[in-house]
Amino acid sequence: MNRMREAWLGLVIVGAIVVAVVGTLWLEGSSFGQSQRDMEAVFEEVGLIRPGNPIKLRGVEVGRVQEVSVDSGGAVVRLSFRVDEDLVLPEDAVVILSPESMFGDWQAEIVPRSRFPAVAYAQPWEPGVLPGGALPDISELTHTADQIAVNLGVLTDRMGIAFSDETARNVASMIDNIEAVTQRLSALVTQQADSFTGVTERVQMAVDGIGSAADQATATLERVDELLAQDDVASTLEDMAVIAANMRDLSGDLQGTNAEIRQTAARADSAFARADAILTRMAAGEGTMGRVLENEGIADDLQATVVELKVLLTDIRENPRRYFSLSIF
Amino acid sequence: MSIILDDVYKAFGPHEVLRGFSLEVRDGETLVVLGESGSGKSVALKHMVGLFSADRGEVWVDGRKLRDLPTEELYELRRGIGYVFQFAALFDSMTLEQNVGMGLRRIGGLSEQEIAKRVEECLAVVDLDGLGARYPAELSGGQRKRTGIARAIAARPKYLLYDEPTTGLDPVTKAVIDQLILRMKKELGVTGVVITHDVDSACLVGDRIAMLYRGRRRFLGTPDELKATVDPVVKGFIEGRPELMEETE
Amino acid sequence: MTERLLAPFTAIGRAALSLASGIGRWGVFAGDTVRSLRHVDVWGRLLLEQMSRIGADSVPIALFISTFTGVVLALQASYTFTGAIPMYFVGVLVGKTMMLELGPVLTGLALSGRVGANIAAELGTMRVTEQVDALETMAYPPLAYLVAPRVLAGIIMFPIVTVLAVGIGVVSGWLTSLQLLDMSTAEFLRGLTLFFRPFDVVFTVIKATSFGLIVTSIGCYFGFHTRGGAAGVGQSTTRAVVASSMVILVLDAFWAVVLL
Repeated sequence: MNRMREAWLGLVIVGAIVVAVVGTLWLEGSSFGQSQRDMEAVFEEVGLIRPGNPIKLRGVEVGRVQEVSVDSGGAVVRLSFRVDEDLVLPEDAVVILSPESMFGDWQAEIVPRSRFPAVAYAQPWEPGVLPGGALPDISELTHTADQIAVNLGVLTDRMGIAFSDETARNVASMIDNIEAVTQRLSALVTQQADSFTGVTERVQMAVDGIGSAADQATATLERVDELLAQDDVASTLEDMAVIAANMRDLSGDLQGTNAEIRQTAARADSAFARADAILTRMAAGEGTMGRVLENEGIADDLQATVVELKVLLTDIRENPRRYFSLSIF
Repeated sequence: MSIILDDVYKAFGPHEVLRGFSLEVRDGETLVVLGESGSGKSVALKHMVGLFSADRGEVWVDGRKLRDLPTEELYELRRGIGYVFQFAALFDSMTLEQNVGMGLRRIGGLSEQEIAKRVEECLAVVDLDGLGARYPAELSGGQRKRTGIARAIAARPKYLLYDEPTTGLDPVTKAVIDQLILRMKKELGVTGVVITHDVDSACLVGDRIAMLYRGRRRFLGTPDELKATVDPVVKGFIEGRPELMEETE
Repeated sequence: MTERLLAPFTAIGRAALSLASGIGRWGVFAGDTVRSLRHVDVWGRLLLEQMSRIGADSVPIALFISTFTGVVLALQASYTFTGAIPMYFVGVLVGKTMMLELGPVLTGLALSGRVGANIAAELGTMRVTEQVDALETMAYPPLAYLVAPRVLAGIIMFPIVTVLAVGIGVVSGWLTSLQLLDMSTAEFLRGLTLFFRPFDVVFTVIKATSFGLIVTSIGCYFGFHTRGGAAGVGQSTTRAVVASSMVILVLDAFWAVVLL
């Protein structure tokens, strides 16, 4: 075999080894030349995160997940990741796991704890290991909606004592509607593998449901307005009318394109902020309605619900597409 | 020490080629096996180097039974046997030198210079000196056949087996090959087995001649005895008169 | 009459028997080849030559095929992903498909034509011109001399050629995305790295190695058992290519079931 052929053979072999090794390392996200350091975080549960997924800080990729393993004892999941050497962590840093896009790829984000205070973080017992948590998934959103429905149901029962039967029926009907919406959302979640078009249709149906529920709510609130003319109750009801209007807007926006969901989420957020304010007043025993609810602990439940909803809305703003998640690969 | 075929049977599927063929090759002689085309001469020859193994009967080479021989020893034994193939069976991708040197390289213990020297000698013996760098495709049929002989003698074998050495050659080339076979015996002292259907060649190069007919040995004797035979089958074959050979068994 | 009715079944039975006995004989052949590996002195010197012929010389055809495969994959992916699916999925599809499926399989099929046919024809010719017997008489074990270096070269070089083909295929898909699809490099790379696992490369190598074994050993098997002159050589060559192509596809499915 002559020298040229030997050289060519050698070149082919070396070339292939270089392609395989460098390609693998590069696609895995190793950074050449740049010095990196290893870090760890612990979680109660890690969803779909796996080695190779990006680590982000303020939206910028700063490293990659190296290893995911259940800690000895099985109490927590330990996530090892490698970040740029000179990375400066935020004050009281935690690691939040969430889907990066609607296609099932996840990311881990280093954030200050204050950004998602409501999330339950797993607490590390060694120094240098970050606490970690996962943002609620869509299944948790529907679960929360279920919880709202239950709380509203209890509320309606209480109101049934104070108000006329008709009002009670209207409120009950509104709640039924919300429950129907919730069920549709649940169905939507269970059928994530459907085509994108299918999902959009379902979202549309759900949105229509929310719309009619909002109308129902408005009618109910008007009826309540007629029945209760006291000042403090009237101002409460005004607030609730604003909520209803916001809800209508919300449903209208949902019917628009997905791109506008950020705006929608903002509106919903302000709607819930108002609801929060009302409930705070109720809890403080202001007004008749507040008094009705005062001793029953329902207000506390509702308040907790609203906190959860706020976390969820933040999440919707951050990752709009995860609520239309479907898996292709 | 010699090559002995003892009552060898060989069939390929339903086709029985050898049916109790026996033959003893004596040291130093050139034994010719005559026979019609397709009579199983080549098959018999291949039994002598273990390329085929007998269905029944035994083959002995230098007192060793080929059937019981482990592979390594069989290869060892083959180094003492040169085999000249009908169409030379040269390796197309190699030059004549490389072809002739193949067997030597396998033996080992020889330096490249020694191998080159031996190859040159062997090519000289068959009058092909100077053509060592050529490839088989560049040669005539006669030259290829001579290269085949050079390759067979390169390892200085004790036995040389020729498979139809003159078939398909023009009369002049044929005469050259016949002379070569005689020279091999005279100059190298090898024991030869020649397979042919050419009676003239057989009588020229053979000390003894055997005839293979329908899987068995029909005749064994000197060339003179062959010419004097009264066996109608043998007579019919050497005189080219098929009508004489038509006998029922 | 009965005979005519039974004819199709007879044919099926015969085909099944011949397939089973063929696989059995190939197995014996493979076993003998493995045993012949002890003659390192015989095949050792020939390995580099065969690696060069089987592997290095196959690089141009493999790269040619994978270049166009990469282009087509990128274009078809973008055509399929209109609207709903983000364009970076072109990178996912090109990368995954090249690594897991098309790289190894197309290279395997192309090389079964180039390498398998070449081996079958070469060994077949050597068989019918008694060159194999000549090796035997010169004390060269033919399996060690002819088969072992080719099969080993196939096992070593197929993954190497395939890795290069995959690399070029991905690069051509990337260039296509850049030039014809108005995608950015960052977008393509995002898709490429999104679902990448190092196991993908291992999978490619496992597949390609098995294809190398199959193509070369089947080529050797049919070449080695050639009978009957030029027509026999032609028949062996055809059989070698058909059989190795079929086995490649079956193995492809097998690995997908077992490893994915």
